[in-house]
Amino acid sequence: MKSTYKFLIGSIIILVVLAALSIQGLQEMTVFFHTPEEILKDANTFENKTIRIGALVQSGSVDWDSKNLLLSFRITEDSQHFIPVVYEGIKPDMFREGQGVVVEGKMKGDTFYAHQLLVKHSEEYKLDPKEHKAKKDYYKTLDKS
Amino acid sequence: MTRWIKILEPLSIISLLGCAIWIFYGTPTESEMGFVQKIMYLHVPSVIVAYAAFFVVFAFSIAYLWKRDIMFDQIAKSSAEIGEVFCALVLITGAIWGKPTWGTYWVWDARLTTTLLLFLIFAGYFLLRSFTRERERAARLAAVLGIIGFLDIPIIHKSVEWWRTLHQPTTLFKVEAAEAKPAMPMELLLPLLVTMGAMLLFYVYLLLLRIQMEQQYDTLQELIANNEGG
Repeated sequence: MKSTYKFLIGSIIILVVLAALSIQGLQEMTVFFHTPEEILKDANTFENKTIRIGALVQSGSVDWDSKNLLLSFRITEDSQHFIPVVYEGIKPDMFREGQGVVVEGKMKGDTFYAHQLLVKHSEEYKLDPKEHKAKKDYYKTLDKS
Repeated sequence: MTRWIKILEPLSIISLLGCAIWIFYGTPTESEMGFVQKIMYLHVPSVIVAYAAFFVVFAFSIAYLWKRDIMFDQIAKSSAEIGEVFCALVLITGAIWGKPTWGTYWVWDARLTTTLLLFLIFAGYFLLRSFTRERERAARLAAVLGIIGFLDIPIIHKSVEWWRTLHQPTTLFKVEAAEAKPAMPMELLLPLLVTMGAMLLFYVYLLLLRIQMEQQYDTLQELIANNEGG
């Protein structure tokens, strides 16, 4: 009887801890990134905290300094709320204007300093009529390099 | 069953090889991602096979709990093993695709995390089976876990709609796609669908083969037990 009691209490404690951990984990998981609007609305809360922002790269805002590996651009979700982003590192191949990105880093003042830049992929697949020859083009790029 | 295995073995392997040749030599290259996009032809069919395999686990686990026929458990166990392999394949191909496309092998977003959870639940399923000596008891406990484990799949599928994820929303099976232009051109879609069919054929072949092995194993165990008893 006594050992059953201990077992019961033990399992309840483990279950409660597990539940608390998974709820915390779930909150982090379900909001993988914030939008610029959320950040600008609540600027004080996010200041100097490591966060992720997901938005689109504004066309014409990209400045790539290939010597110093410094990439700066502005992101927006709704064309009303803009956040300038500075990222130091290699520019991802898939990085394009108008592309969805997720940046991880910290807000310092008005600028977001990112240490990670992830490129979102849209669910749409496209074929470029010029590249319709498929394989041949691929060999061409190999020849060049 | 042996006859079906004999038919399916060359049929599924040849059709998979045919698909591979088609994918690498016959399909156009996607304009955004380039050659990396070819991984999709392995990733998406693996997802479909894993879903199908775990659905079979779900259905036959319910059937076992209801009828207590050991054959249903043999089917569920066999399907779970294949599902686990394809689930691993989904995670691996996804990571290989993610690095050049997203810039990372792994992120803890809802789609990836719930998929990893599915893999871990079924890893637990096999642990549970191996820790339980008695055949009937193992089957009963595993059936319960198999049913619970399957419930993760609708969550995985809907995760990209319910939560903000890095993973893109569903391209196929999009309900509203009918009115808008298709999210994937036919030249890419057709080989994908055919590869899916070939992969499912391969799954049925593996499943039948594995069930046969499982039945032979159980028969052997029975014979040994009878021999020792008498």
